[in-house]
Amino acid sequence: MKSNVKNGAAASKKNIDKVTVSASYLRNIEKKVEDLESIIEVSYIISSTLDYGKLISLVMEKAKHIMQAEACSILQYDKESDKLVSEFAITGQRVTSNVLPKDRVTFDMGQGIAGWVAEHLESVVIKDVYLDERFYHKANPLNNFKTKSMIAVPLVGRRGLLGVAMVMNSKDRNYFSDYDAGIFQTFCVQISAAIENSRFYTESVKMEKFREGLEIASVLQKSFLPETPAFRKGNLHVSATNIPADKVGGDIYDFTEPVNGSIGVLVGDVSGKGISAALYMAKIISDFRYKSKMIERPEVVFNRLNEGLSNSPMGMFLTASYFIVDVQTGQFAVSSAGHPPFLWITNAGVRIMDIPSGPPLGILQYEYISSGFTLKSGDRLLILTDGVFDVINANGERLGFKHLVAYIKEHREKETLVQAIVDYVHDFSDGAEMPDDITLVELKWQ
Amino acid sequence: MKIDTVLHSDYTVVSIAGEIDMYSSPALRDMLLTLVKKNTATVIVNLKEVRYIDSSGIATFVEALKKMLAYKGKLKMAQVPDRLMEIFNFSKLDKVFEIYGSIEDAANS
Repeated sequence: MKSNVKNGAAASKKNIDKVTVSASYLRNIEKKVEDLESIIEVSYIISSTLDYGKLISLVMEKAKHIMQAEACSILQYDKESDKLVSEFAITGQRVTSNVLPKDRVTFDMGQGIAGWVAEHLESVVIKDVYLDERFYHKANPLNNFKTKSMIAVPLVGRRGLLGVAMVMNSKDRNYFSDYDAGIFQTFCVQISAAIENSRFYTESVKMEKFREGLEIASVLQKSFLPETPAFRKGNLHVSATNIPADKVGGDIYDFTEPVNGSIGVLVGDVSGKGISAALYMAKIISDFRYKSKMIERPEVVFNRLNEGLSNSPMGMFLTASYFIVDVQTGQFAVSSAGHPPFLWITNAGVRIMDIPSGPPLGILQYEYISSGFTLKSGDRLLILTDGVFDVINANGERLGFKHLVAYIKEHREKETLVQAIVDYVHDFSDGAEMPDDITLVELKWQ
Repeated sequence: MKIDTVLHSDYTVVSIAGEIDMYSSPALRDMLLTLVKKNTATVIVNLKEVRYIDSSGIATFVEALKKMLAYKGKLKMAQVPDRLMEIFNFSKLDKVFEIYGSIEDAANS
């Protein structure tokens, strides 16, 4: 009995496994497999095409072929204008037409079938477009092409709507079927991924070019600084340390010899960062070199410089200190235009030299003044930019001017004070991104 | 950075919170230039909640001020925190901007 039951169960299972299908059903399955194979094959090709223009041409050609359609069109979604723009279309006779901007057809969201698909993020299969009230006769991206039936599918990526893909007029039938729509939708998932990849690639290339531009700006900017950062003239030793920030900053320093026997030292900081700051700095350096020639008074140079910078774009300005030192006597005159105080280091201590100062250059009409002092043997002047004390650590805390001065007071006797300050600032930031250039210029009187 | 603008009959108060740096200053610039286009007579910038301002941020105010001076408008700063006051003092921006302890003082000046 038992064995009979077993045999019976096996026999009934065999009956269930055996299915009879019609020849047309089998043809349909075979076609579906063929279509999906084509999509996989095409997907491989399009996913390795990164050039956007080439990609879209290729996609349209393949879509036309797979869907057996007379024409294909891809409308791109322009986020800024919130419109669909037809840039590319392909018909049976003509190969790709890269439609010129003047010929571009645009659709508002909700306008025409494409606009409707984009707004509702739903695909549509239309047997006869002339019976569909959404059809917008006036805007046809395909010149001299009469659309009868179509499938329109939204192209959606991870960052939202990318556009709308459409195939028009089935070659072998009067209209497209729901089956065709399913296949086209599957293909459109691949198209969306490929478009997104290509856009991402284009963006990375642009970013890379921008970075290269910044690097060139940075190199150019530094080429404006004096070739030798240290020199001696008479009893005066001058040395400069400049550490550029991760982004292009705007610190400048320059040495001049306005008249025989005197040395001019300019330390400045251009507002802002990036290419605009680099260009502005280049203008300032050339203006300064021209306007400081033969001028013995720093305030006169500032007045002349300020006048030339009064029409600075975007509110750009320069904070600066300009020293003119007599290398025989140690007498010096200094003007400040909104620049941080300089430090005077003597055997007795460190003085914060907050001298009468005008506003930064390039903002207002102003009569700058200068202050006069005399250096004694062993005296040092330390001129810095705010990048030195604006440095931040990993906790987001800023070093601040007071802490910096406290450190300098404690280590003022060090021969290599500037290097010690640089090390201290680096230790404080502890690997955090440097927000600004660091410039320290030391004037030593022997 | 957050910007809050309140229009009064005689002046407009722009209250800013957060950090004004090269990343956030373009939004501030748009805001201020909108007021400039309308020839707003007096703009009082409330800096009470600003933690930090860099030179790009200051340049944004300078640009607005220059444009306002052209039609005799006034850009005033109020409630400047100590940390910012240090930057303003170093940069001698007190020679550039009118700075007040409170919005009322700025409005009544």
